[in-house]
Amino acid sequence: MTRGFYELILREIRVLVKAPWVVCSRGLFFLIQIFVFAVLMDRVVDAPNFDFFAYYSIGTILVTISSIAFLIGHDVYEEAETGLLDYLLTLPFSRRVYILGRCVGGAFRSMIYVTPMFGLVAVIRGFTGAVELLGALALLFVLAFGITGLSITVAVTIRNQNRFDITLALLELFMIRFSTALYPPVFMPSAVATVSVFSPVTLTSDAVRAVLQGGEASFLGVGGLIAFVIVFFAASTAFYFKRIEGGYFH
Amino acid sequence: MYMITFSGLTKTFKSTAAVNDFTLEIKDGEIMGLLGPNGAGKTTLILTMATVYQPTRGSVIVDGYDVTTRPTEIRSLIGIAFQDPRFDRLLSVLDVLEWHAKITGVPSGERVQRLESVMRRLGLWEVRRQRTWSLSGGMKKKVEDAKIFIQCPRIAVFDEPTAFLDVPSRLLVWDMIKELQEEGRTVILATNMMDEAERLSERVAIMNLGGLVALGSPSDLKQKVKGSEVLEIKPTDPGHVDLERLKRIHGVSKGVISNDILKLFLSRGRERIPRVIDELRQQGVEIESLFLKEATLEDVFLKYTGSNLS
Repeated sequence: MTRGFYELILREIRVLVKAPWVVCSRGLFFLIQIFVFAVLMDRVVDAPNFDFFAYYSIGTILVTISSIAFLIGHDVYEEAETGLLDYLLTLPFSRRVYILGRCVGGAFRSMIYVTPMFGLVAVIRGFTGAVELLGALALLFVLAFGITGLSITVAVTIRNQNRFDITLALLELFMIRFSTALYPPVFMPSAVATVSVFSPVTLTSDAVRAVLQGGEASFLGVGGLIAFVIVFFAASTAFYFKRIEGGYFH
Repeated sequence: MYMITFSGLTKTFKSTAAVNDFTLEIKDGEIMGLLGPNGAGKTTLILTMATVYQPTRGSVIVDGYDVTTRPTEIRSLIGIAFQDPRFDRLLSVLDVLEWHAKITGVPSGERVQRLESVMRRLGLWEVRRQRTWSLSGGMKKKVEDAKIFIQCPRIAVFDEPTAFLDVPSRLLVWDMIKELQEEGRTVILATNMMDEAERLSERVAIMNLGGLVALGSPSDLKQKVKGSEVLEIKPTDPGHVDLERLKRIHGVSKGVISNDILKLFLSRGRERIPRVIDELRQQGVEIESLFLKEATLEDVFLKYTGSNLS
């Protein structure tokens, strides 16, 4: 169990390290978001007692980690298409270890992406409390784990490549844009603000901001985030087994 | 002692039976050749044994473990070299093989030595830092085979192990498969190449339409082709050949037309040739060429499946 689990996580990380151009392009995107877009928008947004740059810098981390976590769905879909999945399923570990390893590996991969960005924002914003920083990183990890499960669920339930791509893109769009990651609810149209309450990105975004600013994350918010993780980890496991046994991949 | 027992195995996908009531016992330490055309059910059979699929009916027992109740134990016994190489394209040859060795539990003390030894033998050492996507088809195939030679599993499954390989490499891979068997491993060899099956396998199982149609050693199977002789005739117009009338000739057990070649399975072929020529002339069929030979495994396959492997 331990060896398989550990090696599955390392595999996810190794694949990431072997594609440095992806890491670099995402890093560049992040820097442009922070130092160009956020700075410009900060000048445009004129609201009393509201620092848009400060708000946006944390939000960009949420957006980046969500996008990266969604990528694993594409990997899983491609593995099924190319037959690599058959190989992985013949290796000596249980199915549960396999799914858990993929989800945790995907979450670690996302964390490796965003930790340098998170460090940069912490320096800019002057967040120095070790407990607060670790707490925020833990929340980001939980979000990445949940999105990985969601992404795998979508990858194994949709058979058509175009539908899969569109569904994943829409989910990513709704979860991120209909959330408080990039703009606070007071600036949102009321319908969007209502929907945003249910987005796991909102739950994480609010909790991370609260923790970094020395406050406490809401119990309901963290509970909702954990429920999101459990539901989609269970769903990805169940659908994965069902599809494999039904021979969908062939 | 049987290492693998398939009992009435059936695997259906929706309404299609990829494997149908398949029964076979594979001895510990033997090389079992698995022959069948595309779509015969070989891959489904292998993947069911490897616990990727659940059987729809029947059972598969591997070293005493049932695939449905003890899949993880079975996975630790098996290694599969797939027909199409299966590994991450971004990783290097060394990454792929090292990860496979680690995850399949090759002891850390032996790992480095085994990796180097297998890579050097297969000519992969010089390209070990190269990413797998940049390799030729033959080199990718070698990497796929190398996974199993490094793992040395109790049950080694090779699906077309020498496809895309040149002749020296093919001979080398055959030697390495033989060595695995000499070390006491059970080997399943799924192949479309008759010479490969004949050279390596102690027994051959011929599959067609998901079922087992013939089983035995290559020589036994060839004996089963009645009289063990095959008369190959190239007629000018194969469409005019009346097989039923030919089969009424004494000593002729079966007739098949494949790729415009008429094949008659018969005994004491030399004595029957004049009668066969007369019959064809009566049918208005001219003969371009005629060749009498001993039955090969390919003929055995043709007899049981009615089609050529190629």
